[in-house]
Amino acid sequence: MPANPLAKTDRSAMALFLAATAFFFVGGLMTTVVPALTEDAWSKPVAGLRPLTEQEQRGRDIYKREGCWYCHTQQVRTLEADVKRFGWRGVDAPISTPGEYVNDSPHLLGTRRIGPDLSRVGGKYDRSWHLTHFRNPRDLVPGSIMPPFPWLTDRDGGKEFEDLLAYIQTLGRATDWRPQKDYEK
Amino acid sequence: MSTATDVPAGTKLVDQPSAKWFLISSVVFFAITTFVGLLLSLKFIWPEFMGSAPWLTFGRVRPLHVNGVLFGWLLAADIGLLFYVVPRICGNRLWSEKLGIATVVLFDLIILSAVYTTLSGTTQGLEYAELPFALDVGVTLAWVMFGVNIFMTIATRKHEKLYVSLWYTMGAIVWTAFVYISGNFATLFQKGIGQANLNWFYVHNAVGLIFTPLGLALAYYFIPLASNRPLFSHKLSMIGFWSIAFIYVWTGAHHMLHGPISQWLQTVAILFSVMLIIPVWTVITNFYGTVSGHWDRVKASPILKYLMAGTTFYLLTCFQGPMHSLRTVNAIVSKTDWIPGHAHMAVLGAFSFFAIGGTLWSLPRITGRPIHSDALANRSFWLMLWGGLIYFVSLWVGGFMQGLQWNDTSIPWVDTVMSMKPYYVARALGGALIFAGVVAFLYNVFRSLGRPEQEGAPAATSTSPAAG
Repeated sequence: MPANPLAKTDRSAMALFLAATAFFFVGGLMTTVVPALTEDAWSKPVAGLRPLTEQEQRGRDIYKREGCWYCHTQQVRTLEADVKRFGWRGVDAPISTPGEYVNDSPHLLGTRRIGPDLSRVGGKYDRSWHLTHFRNPRDLVPGSIMPPFPWLTDRDGGKEFEDLLAYIQTLGRATDWRPQKDYEK
Repeated sequence: MSTATDVPAGTKLVDQPSAKWFLISSVVFFAITTFVGLLLSLKFIWPEFMGSAPWLTFGRVRPLHVNGVLFGWLLAADIGLLFYVVPRICGNRLWSEKLGIATVVLFDLIILSAVYTTLSGTTQGLEYAELPFALDVGVTLAWVMFGVNIFMTIATRKHEKLYVSLWYTMGAIVWTAFVYISGNFATLFQKGIGQANLNWFYVHNAVGLIFTPLGLALAYYFIPLASNRPLFSHKLSMIGFWSIAFIYVWTGAHHMLHGPISQWLQTVAILFSVMLIIPVWTVITNFYGTVSGHWDRVKASPILKYLMAGTTFYLLTCFQGPMHSLRTVNAIVSKTDWIPGHAHMAVLGAFSFFAIGGTLWSLPRITGRPIHSDALANRSFWLMLWGGLIYFVSLWVGGFMQGLQWNDTSIPWVDTVMSMKPYYVARALGGALIFAGVVAFLYNVFRSLGRPEQEGAPAATSTSPAAG
């Protein structure tokens, strides 16, 4: 029988335990700890980034609580389709960079697009558009499958809606990407 | 191969309450959480379905379905089955039934609390890691209790040789501990892209280093027994195990291809994702090779049907995975409905099928009561198989079309949503068939539990594919 360095693990639980742990740690450290230590871009904010105000932070918590991130990503990928599709009025959306996210916890990059990406949505629509849209998305976008969120717009005089709106209007603004500064309020 | 162990023939190995209660708990949650999934699928067709009470909206109910199926059903079923399998291979009894019972009680308390926290919107906002901190601590504790029980059972084993199922079990216990800590605790110390990277490391390895090795541990045990054939190749199982142990952990960043993350990490993730074909194909060859030439036995046995269909879905899932990680393919399918089609084939088609086959094999041997009806077990298999296929295929086709439409920026976004409607209808239909199959499985299990104990029921033998 040829010598096999792992043959011992056939009979020794301890040898197997140690080898399995070691194998795991090689890849684990290389892909999580090493980049966290070497990738300076991950912790260097983009120039226009400012901390969220208290109201915007409350809005972000609502975005997290209602699971908006299950259906909306917050990342413009290095794909022409993303850049064009999530641009606005003839201006391409800038590609997302790590520096835009340095304050984010939890990160809300998302993984599914049941609805469109929101990383550049700040300033695209005004308050009254969002109010109508949150009450019933199909009033503005026939064919949409987004749920209505009447408890945000109607409870306590719509306080939660105002918080969420304040957060949504910050999305993408750090890059100040619109040459005409034509951001809606 | 023989099925002899030190336990004399005729000795009853009943009184395995830990295994039994984990299985009962898991089957109940399987039915509930599959039903929740079915409700969710209807929201894609009627967005106002179930009204607009906050706790019944998509964003609250989705994590209940995902966490419920992964932890309430699949992880609990795997734990219950290992409580049965590991002592059989070791030729002894579970180290502590008391600890096992305490584990199932703690586990169920966590799941029930999680139902409340997800529906109330209490969430950490990270995929698969939605549960609040206190529950994360509970899960970690439950896992340590399970791990100690299994490791002590193995440490006091009567058979020196460690059968391949034990490698996967021990590997899974160690890896799960670290993967879970990375995804639920280490993320607290990171922000932004670093946190996202850890999150995807966790999500991917939750499937790759938790459910894959647990599922393979079970399949390596049940396939030789249910087909009454020796394992095809010991050498292949070694290659499969050590290659998955080395390769899987590198692949997490393939969830962020083209995203705001370093190119070298993306490339590393792609390379290792493609290399995953090595462990997967060795495992598949081993399973097919074991049954090869005796496919008539698959026709006769609902247990083998589940196990071999699971094997085939494992092959397909793990062929899709490496293909998705190629940059060109990823540019089409990433973020589309293709991905839930892929994920459901892994969790339902592969690993749930292994667990169901294992449950049908083990339950009579744990309780001394034969399965109520083989015909019903067959029917539940066909319902789940056809339901699953309709579900997977509709989302692959729909998702691929969706990806192509997204890449044509002249098509307005909402048109790409509306064009999914027929696929969403087909998906809900598939989901309804899956749910019907799960209900049939649940009914079969409960009718079996209600039967009188029988002399000469399968419980009378102690079996291990490794012995001899």
